[in-house]
Amino acid sequence: MNAVGLIFTDGFDVDIDDMIERRTLASIPFGGRYRLIDFPLSNLTNAGVKNIGVITKKNYQSLMDHVRGGDEWDLNRRFTGLTILPPFSTAATSETESYENRLEGLVANISYLRYLHEKYVIITGCDYIWNEDIEAFYHAHVASGARLSVMYTKKDIEKTTKTESTYIRVGDGDKVTKQEISNIRPKGAYTSLNTYIMEREDLMDILFKAFRSGKKSFRREVIRPMIDKGEANGYEAKSPIIHIDEIPNYLKGSLSLLDKDVRNAFFSNDDRPILTRVMDSSPTKYGDNAKVSNSIIADGSVIEGEVRNCIIFRNVHIEEGAVVENSVIMTDTHISKGARINYAVLDKNVTIEDNRWLSGYITHPFYCKRNSII
Amino acid sequence: MKKKRCIAMLLAGGQGSRLMPLTEHIAKPAVPFGSRYRIIDFPLSNCVNSGIDTVGVLTQYQPLELNDYLGTGTPWDMNLRYGGVHVLPPYQAAEGSDWFKGTANAIYQNIRFIQRYDPDYVLILSGDHIYKMNYDKMLEEHINNRADCTIAVIDVPLEEASRFGIMNTDGKGRIIEFEEKPKYPKSTQASMGVYIFSTDKLIKYLIEDENDKSSSNDFGKNIIPKMLDDGQRMFAHLFKGYWRDVGTLDSFWSANMDAIGMPEDEPEKLILNDPGWRIYYRHDSNQPQYIGEKGEPKDSIIGGACDINGKIEHSVLFNNVTVEEGAFVKDSIIMDNVKIGAGAYVEYAIIDSDVTIGNDANVGGPKENGKLSVIAKGIKVRKKGRVKQGDILTKPEEEEETK
Repeated sequence: MNAVGLIFTDGFDVDIDDMIERRTLASIPFGGRYRLIDFPLSNLTNAGVKNIGVITKKNYQSLMDHVRGGDEWDLNRRFTGLTILPPFSTAATSETESYENRLEGLVANISYLRYLHEKYVIITGCDYIWNEDIEAFYHAHVASGARLSVMYTKKDIEKTTKTESTYIRVGDGDKVTKQEISNIRPKGAYTSLNTYIMEREDLMDILFKAFRSGKKSFRREVIRPMIDKGEANGYEAKSPIIHIDEIPNYLKGSLSLLDKDVRNAFFSNDDRPILTRVMDSSPTKYGDNAKVSNSIIADGSVIEGEVRNCIIFRNVHIEEGAVVENSVIMTDTHISKGARINYAVLDKNVTIEDNRWLSGYITHPFYCKRNSII
Repeated sequence: MKKKRCIAMLLAGGQGSRLMPLTEHIAKPAVPFGSRYRIIDFPLSNCVNSGIDTVGVLTQYQPLELNDYLGTGTPWDMNLRYGGVHVLPPYQAAEGSDWFKGTANAIYQNIRFIQRYDPDYVLILSGDHIYKMNYDKMLEEHINNRADCTIAVIDVPLEEASRFGIMNTDGKGRIIEFEEKPKYPKSTQASMGVYIFSTDKLIKYLIEDENDKSSSNDFGKNIIPKMLDDGQRMFAHLFKGYWRDVGTLDSFWSANMDAIGMPEDEPEKLILNDPGWRIYYRHDSNQPQYIGEKGEPKDSIIGGACDINGKIEHSVLFNNVTVEEGAFVKDSIIMDNVKIGAGAYVEYAIIDSDVTIGNDANVGGPKENGKLSVIAKGIKVRKKGRVKQGDILTKPEEEEETK
């Protein structure tokens, strides 16, 4: 594996403001004990990538707190490892603003790329999560001789129509024939996972040129010209993909883990574990009258009430007589007796007092901000 | 280098023969406990939480897994440049080599480790107790008493006192007499096997003890009585709280059940989710547990990556345990990577790691009817197989199959 990884931690095409008010997209909790960044970080390190730059823009304190020195991914090496790339003003951005888009984010970090030795760069993000063999992606790219490879999926990915996504058309010999950026998927086009591989020096070169000529968009003004010239190859990701772009899709994506095949594809591959920061929580406790079915439950939680079809994070307490269904309950949240919760996403450290009934619907989940008391 | 005020020496060399077959391949302190911990996590976490960052772990018996587990001490924040956790096995020296002859001899052979940190006090711990204790409070008492040695004691019921080393003290807590397993105990203050020594006194008595050829080089049998005879200032520190010796299969089982810790209004239970006194442990990377449509966990603690589709009552499940539909587990300890097949029945049993229990197999029986059943690591119980109550299964049950 002769590649460095670059991870975008912000969502550029998402409508999830409530959840990222005080955190980056990358640090949104997911799947009971993970944060979204764990997926690209684990995918890259599982493939043997030794240098990873994490491009941050704002509110990245929770992210830094989560990844720290990268110990959990064995990235705390003496000469290689994890580098957090915080925003700073460059000629590419105005003096007071940090970068607004992917291109500026990359240009601001050319100096990080310059001092590495790896031949290739893999660029990925946190809004699509999957557990895919990145090594196979790398080898396919090297073997293809293409200038650029783009990972895509043929699956129909649920998305909000409020924002745009990237779509590509793939022709003979996996050649990418066209890129389209649109609110809904054009017929016959596949969803691009915004995951790319190309040569490091080539990337630095085109970034520098794009910046000098005042270009603004990575996808439209850097990726598209390569696709239009026939220099890009497509690589189909076959594993399940969860797209986090709005709260309803967050809930649906989370609950999709209750499906055994999806769960196993993400978490049961011994060669490709999804790693996360460990917290020394106590084991999960079940009370005498607990009733739990079809749920993922993290450690440190105490379950004394009823739980059905839920994702329960760490240190959640569900009291006797409370009923929680079809919901995601994040760390440190407390649900008191007699409460009923259905189709809700309760963020961290929420307190639901006695006998409160909250219900949303799968398409319109009830969302509670961090630290709220109901 | 800066001197350390207090360092700990943890005696982890015991064979743990009364915990067989759990200790067949691992040292007793490395035996898993409470769904995700090892026994040694308790004294080690107590050290960290008490502000002691330097611990020598004296190993001798089956140390491989324990060494791996301790590693460089990262889980306990003991991966320090100066101090931290050190594994101290017996070694060869110019004048010969020796296995550790007794607890005192194990410390004697590592006097140079102690001297390196030049501590004022040395805390001696054993690796087979489950408890949460602030050693710093004990150290404070030791200093205030101007003691040469302080021994932690716990109040035990009078009828059990003859199983322990009993400390008889005066009104001020000074120990006047020590009796090992007395037939007619004069007090109920049992030694917990936790000692603080002022370093100079410890070293003096270790050297004297080593020169005494008739000594069995044991703290309880030799060092403590000798110091008492010499009129050294020895005090008892009364510890109030949960403390269990887990040296036998039965006591190991019941301490694990205490770790379920429910209901919370039973204060004698072991509370693991105490944010003020965390127990640290080395993590396996795994996913959260999944409770299936037919899963019914009650009054239990369950570890990571479990897939539960059966009924679980009053049990302790470790990581990566699969319980299939229709299976029933009660009053049991199920260690890592165990698979319990559909329709299987397990009651009042300890199932060591990597065991597979076939569909509709039957293991153990109700607690009120008899003894604990144990299945050793890696055993496969065949489909519809039967492990009778009280059996300790250490070999695959081939004989039965040919019958």
